[in-house]
Amino acid sequence: MSDSASSFPGRPLRRRSFLRVAGATVASSALLLAGCNDDDDVTPVTTSNTLVLTANTVGLLNYLYLLEQLQAAFFQKVVDAFPDDFTADDRAAFTDLRDHEVIHRETLKYTLDTNAYDVNLGTNALAFKFDSFNLSSRSGAYAAARTLKDLSVAAYNGISRMLLTDAAERVTFQAHLKLLVKMASVESRHAAFVREQLQSNSFAAPDVVDTNGLDGAKTPAEVAPLIAAYLPITLNVAALPFI
Amino acid sequence: MNLFKIISELEKVDPEIMDRLTHRRSALTALGDLSKKMALAAAPIAIGSAFNKAMGQNTLTTVAGVLNYALLLERLEYSFYDQALKAATLTVPLTGAARTAIETIRGHELAHVTLLTSALGTAADPQPANGFNFGNAFATYANFLTFAQAFEDIGVRAYKGQAVTIKTAGNPNNVLQTALQIHSVEARHAAHIRYMRRGATAGNQTAIMPWIMNADANGAPAPVYGAGNPVATFPAESNVAQGGITNLTTALGATYDAADVSAAFDEGLDSTTVTNIAKSVVTF
Repeated sequence: MSDSASSFPGRPLRRRSFLRVAGATVASSALLLAGCNDDDDVTPVTTSNTLVLTANTVGLLNYLYLLEQLQAAFFQKVVDAFPDDFTADDRAAFTDLRDHEVIHRETLKYTLDTNAYDVNLGTNALAFKFDSFNLSSRSGAYAAARTLKDLSVAAYNGISRMLLTDAAERVTFQAHLKLLVKMASVESRHAAFVREQLQSNSFAAPDVVDTNGLDGAKTPAEVAPLIAAYLPITLNVAALPFI
Repeated sequence: MNLFKIISELEKVDPEIMDRLTHRRSALTALGDLSKKMALAAAPIAIGSAFNKAMGQNTLTTVAGVLNYALLLERLEYSFYDQALKAATLTVPLTGAARTAIETIRGHELAHVTLLTSALGTAADPQPANGFNFGNAFATYANFLTFAQAFEDIGVRAYKGQAVTIKTAGNPNNVLQTALQIHSVEARHAAHIRYMRRGATAGNQTAIMPWIMNADANGAPAPVYGAGNPVATFPAESNVAQGGITNLTTALGATYDAADVSAAFDEGLDSTTVTNIAKSVVTF
């Protein structure tokens, strides 16, 4: 466990990305959301203030990348200003949670490389909105964490089926699947922990685990409206290949 | 514990054991390390792991094969918690919220058994004829939770190790998603059992977190957190290489602790290694 409260800088932009930034009109909100690059698989976005995810694995990975950015930003915000009634254990746990999410985010960013939707804008270019949460109290911070964590668990559980195994994706889907499930169970561990802090024996309560003993699973279309309040843009997941 | 006597005894049963141990010195090191951390009763696990270095692999190729493997593990877990809740030795310490938690977990394991049995239909394997014998697992509350952590963490690894198999076995995505929804619940259980070990009744083991840092076994059998076979596919929980990136502690533009990196990812394990570890600590 790291007890460092310092924030992690993101991976520096690579030279190629930097040049693109230098030569582009970064201020354009349409470009911000385009995720445009030299990969033919990616369809540039044209709608202003909307992030349109593409109908392939790049789209799926960008969806997860966005979820991890959201979570990393959330835990960073709490770590930057711990609630007054946070105990030493709470601080240590939230620091761990922040670290894990930052590592998830940066791993996905590295994997996406120039296919990351925000490749031209560095880490956390989107300013996520957490004003619907009360982060000044322990219970508020944990309640917010519970909301985000249960959502993250269900999102991961709902996405592995969507990895395409057709010819175009055959080389990579196994590697991507392995990577996703390695992060998925850590999200579940987080969820169980934060739930328990709010209510004894809620780590796998009936509101998240059904009578078949199954955790939740949500499609991107189900997740998108649930995270809309935290995003400064509109997320369009309609093109993602649901199978 | 006399390590050499154990090896010697094994040689009587399996004359080729030393050939199977891919690396004699590392095997002995593993056993030595284990002796410091765990009860003698669990020693067979280490030996099982030593075999796995040579023999372990993912041998399941069909969905039914994977589901029967999962069914065996779920039956084992259900039996484990059921016996714990009925054990006279645990009547006093396993009370209140702790008992409720274990009842909840037992209920989930039973639900998984029911679901898998139903999904397999006539292809479902029969129950082990003589049930499951967990030895001295219920001798003390602390020992029970140590075993529980081992079973839950290895359960997570077992499901994870089959995800690609399911996805490639004709791509039955409903099966994959269901397996991952179980996998997710096992991870919740694992996190909570680990959290329970921090409590006073379990000895205030506050170094234990709900997530796995490095390959720390916290007194559970070390092979539960070790590498499977092949190592490149099923590395130990201390792994810091992910997604084709050699070392995440330094490759992401900042320096991250190995403990944090390893905790951010759980690792899969092949079916042979999982089964051998189970068989070396549980009689069934």
